[in-house]
Amino acid sequence: MGIKGSRELVQNVLQAGMCIGCGACVELCPYFRHYKGRTLQVFPCDLESGRCFAFCPKIEVDLDALSRRLRGCAYEGLDLGVYRSIRAARAGAALPKASFQGGGTVSALMAFALGSGVTDAAVLTDREGAWPLPRIVTDAQDVLACASSKFTAAPTLQALNRAVRLGHQRLGMVGTPCQVTAAAQMKGGLASQEDFRDPVALTVGLFCNWALDPRALNAFLGERVDLDRVTGMDIPPPPAEVLVVRLGEESREISLQEVRPLIPETCRLCPDLTSEWADLSVGMFEGRPGWNTLIVRTDRGGDLVRAAEEAGYLELEPMPEENTAHLAEAGRTKKERAFRTALRENAVNRENGCSVLRLPAEVVDRLT
Amino acid sequence: MTPNPLKRVLMLGNEAIARGALEGGISYATGYPGNPSSEILETLFKWSDAHDVAVEWSVNEIVALEAAAAFAFSGRRAVVTMKQNGLNVAADFLTTVSLDELPGGLLVVVCDDPGPLTSSNEQDSRHFARIAQIPLLEPSTPQEAKDMAVYGLEISQRFGLPCMLRAVSRLSHGRGPVSLGPVASKGPQPRFDRDRPKVGLPFLVTRNHARLLRLREEIRAEFEASPWNGYTGPEGVSTLVVASGLSATYGLEAIQTLDLGDRVGLLKLGTTWPLPRERILERVGRADTVCFLEEVDPFVEEGVKVVCAENGDRAGRIRFLGKNDGFVAGPDGPGVGEMNTDTALSALGRLFDPAPVQGEPLPEDLLARARDLLVPRELSFCQGCPHRASFYALKTALELDGRDGFLVGDIGCYGMAAGTTGFQQIKALHCMGSGMGNACGFSRLKEFGFDQPVVAVAGDSTFFHAGLPALANAVHHNADAVFVILDNAVTAMTGFQVNPATPAAVSHGKRELRIENAARGLGAEAVVLDPVADVNAAVEAVLQAVETGGVHVLVFRHGCATFFQKRADRSARPRVWVDAETCLGDQCGCNRFCSRILSCPAILFDPETGVARIDEQVCTGCGLCVQVCPREAILLERSEDGNP
Ligand SMILES: Cc1cc2nc3c(=O)[nH]c(=O)nc-3n(C[C@H](O)[C@H](O)[C@H](O)COP(=O)(O)OP(=O)(O)OC[C@H]3O[C@@H](n4cnc5c(N)ncnc54)[C@H](O)[C@@H]3O)c2cc1C
Ligand code: SF4
Ligand code: SF4
Repeated sequence: MGIKGSRELVQNVLQAGMCIGCGACVELCPYFRHYKGRTLQVFPCDLESGRCFAFCPKIEVDLDALSRRLRGCAYEGLDLGVYRSIRAARAGAALPKASFQGGGTVSALMAFALGSGVTDAAVLTDREGAWPLPRIVTDAQDVLACASSKFTAAPTLQALNRAVRLGHQRLGMVGTPCQVTAAAQMKGGLASQEDFRDPVALTVGLFCNWALDPRALNAFLGERVDLDRVTGMDIPPPPAEVLVVRLGEESREISLQEVRPLIPETCRLCPDLTSEWADLSVGMFEGRPGWNTLIVRTDRGGDLVRAAEEAGYLELEPMPEENTAHLAEAGRTKKERAFRTALRENAVNRENGCSVLRLPAEVVDRLT
Repeated sequence: MTPNPLKRVLMLGNEAIARGALEGGISYATGYPGNPSSEILETLFKWSDAHDVAVEWSVNEIVALEAAAAFAFSGRRAVVTMKQNGLNVAADFLTTVSLDELPGGLLVVVCDDPGPLTSSNEQDSRHFARIAQIPLLEPSTPQEAKDMAVYGLEISQRFGLPCMLRAVSRLSHGRGPVSLGPVASKGPQPRFDRDRPKVGLPFLVTRNHARLLRLREEIRAEFEASPWNGYTGPEGVSTLVVASGLSATYGLEAIQTLDLGDRVGLLKLGTTWPLPRERILERVGRADTVCFLEEVDPFVEEGVKVVCAENGDRAGRIRFLGKNDGFVAGPDGPGVGEMNTDTALSALGRLFDPAPVQGEPLPEDLLARARDLLVPRELSFCQGCPHRASFYALKTALELDGRDGFLVGDIGCYGMAAGTTGFQQIKALHCMGSGMGNACGFSRLKEFGFDQPVVAVAGDSTFFHAGLPALANAVHHNADAVFVILDNAVTAMTGFQVNPATPAAVSHGKRELRIENAARGLGAEAVVLDPVADVNAAVEAVLQAVETGGVHVLVFRHGCATFFQKRADRSARPRVWVDAETCLGDQCGCNRFCSRILSCPAILFDPETGVARIDEQVCTGCGLCVQVCPREAILLERSEDGNP
């Protein structure tokens, strides 16, 4: 299929309801914009091939090519992707406390990477009421300000594109699996750009089963709470089955039953629970509040974790066997669901036209 | 320049009408600009000082007609000019003032635009003469146009009701020799007689109406002997062409071209309401085939048929050929588009030779040379036109908003925004102010589940012409409505006429009204922005307005580029150029955004170098491209002393 242009992207992703609004196609050019949770093309562009298409994690994602380029091996559909180790982690004493989502592992890693010069800026996701707000930050203070999860899709990569334009060369980024996939595709650049240098020095991926549609969530919450007062959100581990909306000191619980319809369709085709293309992946530690699950996937990820631990930014503990098994099962469940849905919707390995995913046929067969 | 009286000069039809009004002794001329009528007043402006005629543009056609009537009420003569759409606006007054008894003279000149170059319909204004029961004159040459204007003022005063003169675009804008006459005196000191007859009171209407119908018959009697009606051709032929106004010249030309001079007669009618019944019967009664040539509707055709039906014994059996049976038809069908010699040729040709006549085709080399002369160019806003920035902002805002919002508009240069130059943003445009009225209804539709944002755009002149009532309506009904008033300070489309929004410096001391003050006075929120200076601020303002309820008036103020550049010192223009090193050209990341999307005539793309270029001869230095270039590759340098 190859890398096509914005016409194909608009038709197959934006108009097909497949866009997650990650922002990877935004601020590369004057055509794509993101406004209040929605990515759009304001004016038409007729280029045959473009970075918007190349970067988008919702069209022609060639998992095998990504795996070979980033991991040096074929894509096998492993439950948690390729990794070196899984640890329990939380922020160490060197990091001031903030309203972390879990153990603050992500914030600790980003703050340490900035402080130690591994990165020259980080692309994070702040909030403005119930809207996610991408930001480029350069110090620990601002990393802490961006702590905690915004359970909506976010145009974080728009800020990444902006940061590249502003001349940053060693960027750190934190993102959901789709965003990390886009960032991984950015590493390929475009064939036409000979002078391409990967400006991303560190990717920290989050675990994610789904994110909510920000426009839908704002409309939904707007009828229930004062949106300007939203200070945070939480999805406590099962069997809670609620979304907790924090309004300063107060909080409101909303049944997940009510919230699930706000999950965009496109999440159902996402095969990645644990941000498999990141250097490091971080999620919750089910059953152990205040701690995270940390997956080390690359050398540079491993180096950073070691250095951060030494500098007192990170505390590490072994991960119990049964937790890893449980996580793997969740990872497999998400993959199976995604591949089954993709097959049903003719969105995988299509011969004519654009596919959402491309991967070895035997992996699809094995997992469906 | 005052034309030397009693001389023959070459004149535009519209100049000839102006001259006729002058010779007819007018004290006052007013109107509202609109193609093809605008040059009449423009011409009178030039003569106004020398001949002591008060000339002014009014805010709209009905105000113009009402103002002119005051002169006629007081014993003076006045002329009002408008295009066909304008007559609809003026019609309310026209159909009541005809019941009056005017001591002065009132000539209503209406210029129709069939096969419209610049109109939103091609209505035939003549119907209004019949509705108002006033005399209607249709000139066929500039000479007649001048002479009929003089005559129209004279019969208006003599019969005490308005007279209508109807031109069409080819007459208004065609040139011909005109023998000038003396300029009549203006009459006695104007005075309004407080005991003059009352009209308009319902219990007097029937009496006045009856009087008007009696007058119609007196006028008809006068028209029976009128030199404006005449027969050309041999006696005793059985085929008659009945043609009115300019169509009579097409008919004559067709008869000559087809060499039918000895087989076809032509009855030319210059007074088409009330129709000269006897003159018609005299000629029609001798024919067995009658073919009608007129522009646009079968107005004379149907009138003649009524005359014949009512006088069957004298008319006899006649085969009528015209628009109703489809025999007389242009390429788009009967009653559609302009009448011209080709249509007349085709009709008369088929009458005598069933094989259709083919006009002699133009030699191919001539056509090829003509094609070479044509510059391929889209219908586009001028270089530096503020509408480009406005519609760029409006489109961006509505796309960002993402709820399938759209624009409703009306008549003005900005109507071009229905096409590519305005990013196809205007989805409905009908008449002056129509978008603003539409917006009131779209707001009310919300009760029925309608959820698309609507923005109404209108120009500065349009705002005062027809927007104020819609704005009052919106405020009164607590509507959610966004009105973007594109204030470029002049009535640009029709030739930069002044209007209430025009700065006093340009209008020579007329008082300037601020749209935002009018809006605030009516209780609407109003903000003023310059989209050319800061296009993103305009985007923000539109987004904010469509996201919040209530009535919002956004005044986008930036003077018409073409008008103000003409007056400005060229050397004061900022210089704009492209840094070829930085420009991305057609690469990913830009893909010729400036030249391809903005479609400014000053921005070119050089395929050889692969970068954009600004044509500094054409560029006005507005700086819009500087703001939208994704690479900041377009640079602007202000000259030391000037600002744009
Ligand atoms: C939409 C979403 C769904 C998730 N689903 C799961 C899940 O099913 N299971 C699980 O174990 N964990 C999930 N997580 C991850 C979890 O919520 C925590 O973010 C993670 O455990 C890290 O915790 P922390 O204390 O280290 O984070 P913190 O130190 O608080 O830092 C959080 C970081 O996340 C970034 N961030 C916040 N919201 C977003 C966003 N919407 N998009 C991109 N980046 C963002 C911020 O920039 C911040 O740097 C999800 C996160 C998100 C955003
Ligand atoms: S790159 Fe992201 S924002 Fe752009 S179309 Fe794809 S999913 Fe949507
Ligand atoms: S918008 Fe800027 S980068 Fe693009 S072609 Fe024009 S000058 Fe070059």
